Amino acid sequence: MSDLRIINIEKQYPQTKQQKDPAFSLQPVALTIKEGEFFSLLGPSGCGKTTLLKLVAGLMPADKGEIWVGDDHLTAVAPEARRFAMVFQQSLLFPHMTVEDNVAFGLKMQKIGKRERLADAQSMLEHVGLSGYGSRFPDELSGGQQQRVALARALVAKPRVLLMDEPFSALDPSLREEMRELLRGVQKEFHVTVLFVTHDREEAFYLSDRIGVMSEGKLLQIGKPKEIYEQPANVKVASFLGLKNIIEGRVINNRFVSNDQSFEVPVQTSIKTGPSVMIIRPETIRLVPDNIVKNLQCLYFRGVIQQKIFNHGFYSVKVQAGEYLLTCSFTSQEAENMKVGQTIDLMMNNGDLRFLNE
Amino acid sequence: MKSPRRLLNSILFLLLFFVIGLPFVPLILSSVSFGWPWPNVLPDSFSFRAWEYVLADSSGTWSVVGTSLLVAFIVTAVNLLLAVPAANALVRNSFRGKWLMEAIIFAPIVIPPFVAVMGIHLTFLRLGLTETILGVVLAHISPTLPYMVRAIMISYNTLSVDWENQARMLGAGPISRFVHVVLPHLLPGIAAGASLSILISLSQYLITFIIGSGQVVTLPILLFPFISGGDPAVASAYSLLYAGIAVLTLVGMDLALKKYYQNKKAATGKG
Repeated sequence: MSDLRIINIEKQYPQTKQQKDPAFSLQPVALTIKEGEFFSLLGPSGCGKTTLLKLVAGLMPADKGEIWVGDDHLTAVAPEARRFAMVFQQSLLFPHMTVEDNVAFGLKMQKIGKRERLADAQSMLEHVGLSGYGSRFPDELSGGQQQRVALARALVAKPRVLLMDEPFSALDPSLREEMRELLRGVQKEFHVTVLFVTHDREEAFYLSDRIGVMSEGKLLQIGKPKEIYEQPANVKVASFLGLKNIIEGRVINNRFVSNDQSFEVPVQTSIKTGPSVMIIRPETIRLVPDNIVKNLQCLYFRGVIQQKIFNHGFYSVKVQAGEYLLTCSFTSQEAENMKVGQTIDLMMNNGDLRFLNE
Repeated sequence: MKSPRRLLNSILFLLLFFVIGLPFVPLILSSVSFGWPWPNVLPDSFSFRAWEYVLADSSGTWSVVGTSLLVAFIVTAVNLLLAVPAANALVRNSFRGKWLMEAIIFAPIVIPPFVAVMGIHLTFLRLGLTETILGVVLAHISPTLPYMVRAIMISYNTLSVDWENQARMLGAGPISRFVHVVLPHLLPGIAAGASLSILISLSQYLITFIIGSGQVVTLPILLFPFISGGDPAVASAYSLLYAGIAVLTLVGMDLALKKYYQNKKAATGKG
């Protein structure tokens, strides 16, 4: 197996005289990415995800730590000898070479004969949907096409790991979705290991087998997209993932009580006594059906509708409950009779709630 | 809209012709004159005596042209070897005393060559480099290098490190990176710097005169005695030849560069 192993790698940027704030540093990161896995590093800009990517690529020397692929120790190996490939935010196609020569560049560096490498380049261009564009020059292509060529160029030499640094962030949204589809297909087809850096949650969730959430130079949580979404490890992860309805309160005697006393829920013993938060996912909130026998497995509350917005096939409804403005998702059917100002009864399963110690 | 623009263009062209072309007219007339006493507007009589002298083998013109071009091209080649790493270091790195380095490299532009050449002469005398082509070449580097470095620095400024990183990630070692990525980007800057370097080297009089001590004869050295010594016809003919060679060299370089780009395009176009 040739898994990519990142062992306690860390990097400290020297503090410069001009900057008064403490120098940025990347905390030790330990991570194993399986062969053929699509792994995303997700985090706000300036969180160190690109630094980590460059450390893996070798474009920047690490202070400590090791990089391995399978049984090859690569920490001291030059980036050009690691047999990695990288796609940057800009396509960086060499302007004086044709598309074909650009794609074949990696093979040329491996001293593969001209005929063979051009044939490989052609077939790779076909895979990214650009057959027939080989003899053009990069400035004759659109931004999306250029990024496709960059992808083909990275894949053609069969890299052990493909590193991608926000490759689609310069494209417009519809093109970005198209590229996502393409990348997903190509990645599965070639079974290539991908380390993908992005600040776009949707992109990360759509593409990844696993996601690592980063913030301020720290890797906060690693997990499958569903795990991260449903069980964020801490408030920072939750807020970066854009989770709504984060309610502050305290845990006393294994019961969570919100700051305004309007919510009170039993919690598992694993949650420590003290200040904590409760996270309610918008889609777990339901209307209370008529004639229901209330049970202890559910949390019931009453709220006043403040806002109702149609959003991609469902309604996003803001409900004032106690001091909190909660966001709920309802289907069109459920939301049909809702009016702003109306009081409604809502419920959710205790099991869908997520509690975190602060 | 179009006709005023065309009019302006033709006026500018005429102006340019008068400024650049007109001075050549008396030069041409003078070179074919046989006595041109003041205050006549045109020479009394015409003869090709000056040109016959200049173009004859006995006057040694062609070997002088050869020496001039040899010096200019060696100077340019050496400049290139010095300027590319220098520009790379000055643009890409920030280090203590960088301003001082830049000041030293660019100093010959503002400091008169006479100041430096006296010291150089003394040193070269001890080293036995005077009266040699090597000595003249070395002495020519100081006034030409700043222009070469300047031109290549501008090219480097527009070359982001990302390009080299990209090539690196595709498996390109240092030499491949330079040949396939950096050099094509620097080429326009190199062409500009090389043109300046050739022109400045060709027009050095003082430095060549002092270091070469009359043994290394370039065109300006050959020309000067005729200007001051009173054969204006021969001086004019040499001036014209000198201008012609400078222009030919530049045009030749320009063509070679264009051809290089065309070949590149054609070769890649064929695949």
